[in-house]
Amino acid sequence: MGTGNAALEAALRVLVVEDEALIALELECLLDELGHITVGIAGNSTEAIAMGRSTAPDVALVDIHLIDGPTGIEVARALSQDRRTTVVFMTANAKRIPKDFAGAIGVIAKPYSERVVASTLDYLADRRAGRGEPACPDGFWPAPV
Amino acid sequence: MSARSEPALPPATLVDAFARSPSPMVITDARAPDNPVAWANDAFLQVTGYGLQEVVGRNCRMLQGPATDRTAVERIRAAIQVAEPISVELLNYRKDGTPFWNAMTITPVSDTEGVAFYYAAQADMTYVHQLEDTMRDTTGELERLVEARTHALSAALEQKTALLHEVDHRVKNNLQVISSLMLLKARRTPEGEARDALQNMAERIGALSTAHRLLYSEGDCAHFNLGDFAAEFLADMNAGLDPEVRRIEADVEPIAVAAAMAAPLALLIHELTANALRHAFPDAREGRVSIAARRTESGMHLTIRDDGVGLAAVSPNPAGFGRNLVEMVVRQMRGTIAWADAGPGTVVEIDIPLKSVS
Repeated sequence: MGTGNAALEAALRVLVVEDEALIALELECLLDELGHITVGIAGNSTEAIAMGRSTAPDVALVDIHLIDGPTGIEVARALSQDRRTTVVFMTANAKRIPKDFAGAIGVIAKPYSERVVASTLDYLADRRAGRGEPACPDGFWPAPV
Repeated sequence: MSARSEPALPPATLVDAFARSPSPMVITDARAPDNPVAWANDAFLQVTGYGLQEVVGRNCRMLQGPATDRTAVERIRAAIQVAEPISVELLNYRKDGTPFWNAMTITPVSDTEGVAFYYAAQADMTYVHQLEDTMRDTTGELERLVEARTHALSAALEQKTALLHEVDHRVKNNLQVISSLMLLKARRTPEGEARDALQNMAERIGALSTAHRLLYSEGDCAHFNLGDFAAEFLADMNAGLDPEVRRIEADVEPIAVAAAMAAPLALLIHELTANALRHAFPDAREGRVSIAARRTESGMHLTIRDDGVGLAAVSPNPAGFGRNLVEMVVRQMRGTIAWADAGPGTVVEIDIPLKSVS
């Protein structure tokens, strides 16, 4: 289970944008286990964008289908406006992602394994800390450059 | 031929024959001003609806009307000017104003002083044109029908594709929910057998999820590429292992199997690999598990091998759910399975028949 290498300085503040309560809760547990901090869970686009503004998270994990429809795309666009936030899609509907990825840097396809989430967060932490050019983990699909 | 004499037909006989002919005929006087009609037969009068007195002395253009093709008229005029025969089809009008298609051959008739008459034999072609129109209408109607049908079919296909995506999305989402449920419950369960069981279940669901994720990704809904599955499965399993101690390797050909076999094959490969990891390497023993699959003449041959302690060293587990599951799935795929000590380790050989897929 996960490399859990999120030492204090590598701990990421994560916003979870997910309408499925069970998935969100499990993701929150996993993030906690990996040493990351969940700053909020949002199930619809308005909530997600507002939480993004108020918390300025390091990472936003964004599902495309939310309570108010396929609005995850808009959410990604809005959240990625803030340079402090790295957006990653987490969706079973990767076909809906636009060509420019709406500002997101990649996608984790559902159904995902916890290992993929863990290694993707390690990868993001390394990237943000400017620790060289970390290799993309398996199961994480980067946006086309 | 020139020796043959002209048949001695009295002119009256010829005139009589022309007059009785069912083909409309008309003769114009080339020397009178404006080339007027000099003679017409009954068939001509019948087709045009005029009486003889109404046409004699008048130019044939009296039959033309608003929809008559001007260029065809011009061709007639030009041919007459140079005294050459011409065949042409013209829209003419009867006395009552109804149009008809008049196909005619106009031939100049000369005497020693030049063109004396023009002789025109005609045929009413209206029915041919009607037939053409009908055909055009029918063809147009057919084309419209085909277009409408094609439109309806592509709309239906689009709907089905959208539906497939929707269902695919829901299945994936549900797999995620099921896996989350299992893991949430595992987290709330004290360490021990129950927790392990929940985590093992979540892993099996994970293997099914990997298979499902690959199912419709290539646009080919009917087949499943075992090679792709092995690559993803391997990456996922190895991510949880310390590479210095344990490693899983795969040498799996890109075998295309029917989509229906994706889930059982994923379960089978997962179970055997997880089983080897669980039992073959007690006490932090180092080791390697290898997965190999190749196409055979009648199907595929799958080998899962480890270099662990071997079958004999593992105390037989009465619950043995893993092994049970494996044998059940192999039976479902009508395959055969053999477990053997490989000294060192264990080797499992499986043969699965495949329907001929490309």
